Amino acid sequence: MKTNILYTHKDLIEKSKSGDRNSQYKLYELYIDAMYNVSMRILGIREDAEDIIQDSFVDAFKNLTSFRYESTFGSWLKRIVINKSINHLKLKKVPVTPLEQHEYYIGEEINEPVKTMDITKIKKGIAQLPDGYKQIINLYLIEGYDHIEISEILKISSSTSKSQYHRAKKKLIQIINTLE
Amino acid sequence: MDDFEKHIKENKLLFDEHKPDKAKLWQHIESELNVTSKVKTVKLWRSSMMKIAATIIILIGVFSLTTTFTASNESNDFANQELNDIDTYYKGLVSFQVELVKNNSKLSTEDKEEFLSFMEELDKEHLLLKKEMTANLNNEYILEAIVQNYKKRIELIENLLEQIKDSKKSDDNEGYIL
Repeated sequence: MKTNILYTHKDLIEKSKSGDRNSQYKLYELYIDAMYNVSMRILGIREDAEDIIQDSFVDAFKNLTSFRYESTFGSWLKRIVINKSINHLKLKKVPVTPLEQHEYYIGEEINEPVKTMDITKIKKGIAQLPDGYKQIINLYLIEGYDHIEISEILKISSSTSKSQYHRAKKKLIQIINTLE
Repeated sequence: MDDFEKHIKENKLLFDEHKPDKAKLWQHIESELNVTSKVKTVKLWRSSMMKIAATIIILIGVFSLTTTFTASNESNDFANQELNDIDTYYKGLVSFQVELVKNNSKLSTEDKEEFLSFMEELDKEHLLLKKEMTANLNNEYILEAIVQNYKKRIELIENLLEQIKDSKKSDDNEGYIL
């Protein structure tokens, strides 16, 4: 079963590898919406996200021969988009992790309970998060990466990823609870 | 994982709220891919791997060319050596025959002179052919001419042998009659 998932769209991918523009477009059509949203969540600016998406698809099609079905095509592509987006933020000197490094953060026993589960409010809350907190919430909660993967993406240790995630989550809940 | 986290993960799709301009983005991607696919053929030769491969191919080409060239030289040498051997053999044979003919008492002086003049002629021809041969070894006509030259010598010698035999026979006959 697992291999079946890995080989999703194998036919299209193989044809795209040999440069078939039609198959490349079909793949693009399948993944563009998801990838655009991934990039938008990180960058928040339409023009930046468009640039990154174009760049990512061009890179992906150019380097498609290096894709060997070790992951799904979707997650391979998504990783390209995420890496490019994070690099873009770094180039713009936007912090991707909180500025102060609290390595010895102790999980607070008294966690503020969430007053609402309204997705619109959660979205608003994430948007209001300081730059350094936003990425880790995105990567963990929405993109579904674990702390090991996040540590690779953000070039931090996985324990830092864990502690920063908890701080970011606390901050998010605080913001959501103040929203009316 | 608490309920808050679960809730978000379960509603992941709701976070996909942005709609990209598909056509515009694809236009850019396609034009970029067209450019790079054109450049790619040039880039291939710029990559160090291709350079190494090209160098190896050239080296192999040069090596095989030089080896075949020297090999053909060697075969030329062999051919020359063989020709020289044949030459010395025939020279020896011919000079021996000539001496025999000269010393043969049973042959008439006319026959001797005829034979020797033929031999001289063939010698001259043979020398000419040898000169030609060094100029261009692979010329078929020259090779054929040399062979013809040798054949004529053999023919001459054979004729002479016949004559000697005949004269011997007639001598015998004479003896028998006597």
